[in-house]
Amino acid sequence: MTSVIEVEHLTKRYGDTLAVDDVSLALEKDAIYGLLGRNGAGKTTLMSILTAQGFATSGSVRIFGQRPYENAAVLQRMCFVREGQKYPDDAKPWHAFRMARLFFPNWDQDVCDSLVAQFQLPMNRTIKKLSRGQLSAVGVVIGLASRAEITFFDEPYLGLDAVARQIFYDRLLEDYAEHPRTVLLSSHLIDEVANLLERVVVIDAGRIVMDAETDAVRDLASTVVGDADAVERFVVGREVLHRESLGRVASVTVLGTLTDADRRALAEARLDVAPVSLQQLVVRTTQAAARRRAAGDTEAGAWGMESARDAAAVGAADGGATPDTTRTAEKGVLR
Amino acid sequence: MSRTVNVVRMQLVNKQTFGWVPLAILVGALAVTLAIWAMVPDGGALYSGGAQAPFWYFAVIGVQALTLTFPFSQAMSVTRREFYLGTLLTAALAAAVLTVVFLVGGFVEQATDGWGMNGYFFTFPWIWDAGAPVAAAFYFVLSMLSFVAGFTGATLYKRFGAFWLVVVSVGLVLVLIAAAWLVTRAGAWSDVMGWLLTSGVGGLTAVLAGITVVVALVAFPLLRRAVP
Repeated sequence: MTSVIEVEHLTKRYGDTLAVDDVSLALEKDAIYGLLGRNGAGKTTLMSILTAQGFATSGSVRIFGQRPYENAAVLQRMCFVREGQKYPDDAKPWHAFRMARLFFPNWDQDVCDSLVAQFQLPMNRTIKKLSRGQLSAVGVVIGLASRAEITFFDEPYLGLDAVARQIFYDRLLEDYAEHPRTVLLSSHLIDEVANLLERVVVIDAGRIVMDAETDAVRDLASTVVGDADAVERFVVGREVLHRESLGRVASVTVLGTLTDADRRALAEARLDVAPVSLQQLVVRTTQAAARRRAAGDTEAGAWGMESARDAAAVGAADGGATPDTTRTAEKGVLR
Repeated sequence: MSRTVNVVRMQLVNKQTFGWVPLAILVGALAVTLAIWAMVPDGGALYSGGAQAPFWYFAVIGVQALTLTFPFSQAMSVTRREFYLGTLLTAALAAAVLTVVFLVGGFVEQATDGWGMNGYFFTFPWIWDAGAPVAAAFYFVLSMLSFVAGFTGATLYKRFGAFWLVVVSVGLVLVLIAAAWLVTRAGAWSDVMGWLLTSGVGGLTAVLAGITVVVALVAFPLLRRAVP
């Protein structure tokens, strides 16, 4: 596998704020990444710099091994329609699609036409009069039909109804299966996109706080469900992320990968294990990162550091040692 | 190169901005002018300043080409250089079309003795003094100057914000005032007027062309660091 995007020590400063803070990343060819984080975490800024629409204060970006700035050969292999994209005045959706066809060598008009039909996009209304959801749909159509080798989707579902969102997810996976490419999907509807993502990158206050395989992330914590007393006995000495109870039944989310011994103990106590939602983990990670920032402590005492080892352990343990997962284990970093 | 041509095509996908709107402005101004002339009692040649309307509109397209089409071109993975060259090329095309319209209008006007009313909309006498080719060059340069003024102003705004746009605009006005003051102090107004009269519309066109090139060149380094 090769890295198509390589970012080293990227920093973007707006006046006093650090929008992107010393970010290093490597994104591989033909994979779907989730770029997750809160509003204002730096997602759009990061994607702008990767596509040379924005400028970094320091650090380097390599796309297909080259600098993207003013590099047409590299840029035409990427597509980034930002959230709140501006369109030419009086432009209608069909204008925008015709323009996109001029610039993206892999543009697929059939994909464009069928998506327009599915989204029921009014082609003859000016874009500035479209609803928020229809505006998002224009961006989604360009992103999918461009078939760019690296495609960025920036909060693509904003304003889209549930049906339209499902269409987007289905069509993305369908087209991705036939035409693999690198997709970076920024989102804060984490659970909804979780099943699409092969890898998640979580950014908070400009810093990468998690960069790991989705499956490895899910194993970072578990929810134990069952008789309240038995659950409480099991979680003693473990870090509890979340606790819920209803009568005699408790559901407690604990951090850390379950060992075989743990699983035996759970079976004996007749407790069930439920997976933790990606959203919850991301939220916890983000909050932990915020606490660390508040404490001015970047290294010790943070559960994120333990989790980094856990992530590595997960990759190594259940990978069946395929080269891929071993590599993931090494790289599955939770900072 | 082909991507630069594609920028031209992108700017022209929507025919309205560069085509129909300036045409409508011109036809509208002409219609209003002719209607007024028809109501004016006979006596002497009539002239109208209405023909300048489409030239002003070029400044508007210059602004829009940047504020609205530049951000979109970035999403189309167009480099800033391709956008710059393609957009100026589009403006040159539109200016050429407008020039042809003015030439044809001027010939019609001369052939019909001012629309049968001795009224002159396209053929402002001083501009046509040196002949149709020089008048054409003048119209072309005037459209381009108007366009690049809007374009560069908008680029400055995009790059440095409203404050610096105002600072630069006020600065330019101050420079002009200072120049006028110097001319007055040197008692050289008669020389300036004399130069304008002797060099005629050709000389003025050359000066405006020089200014246009400078203003257009200023936009490029600004655009290279502009963010959509």
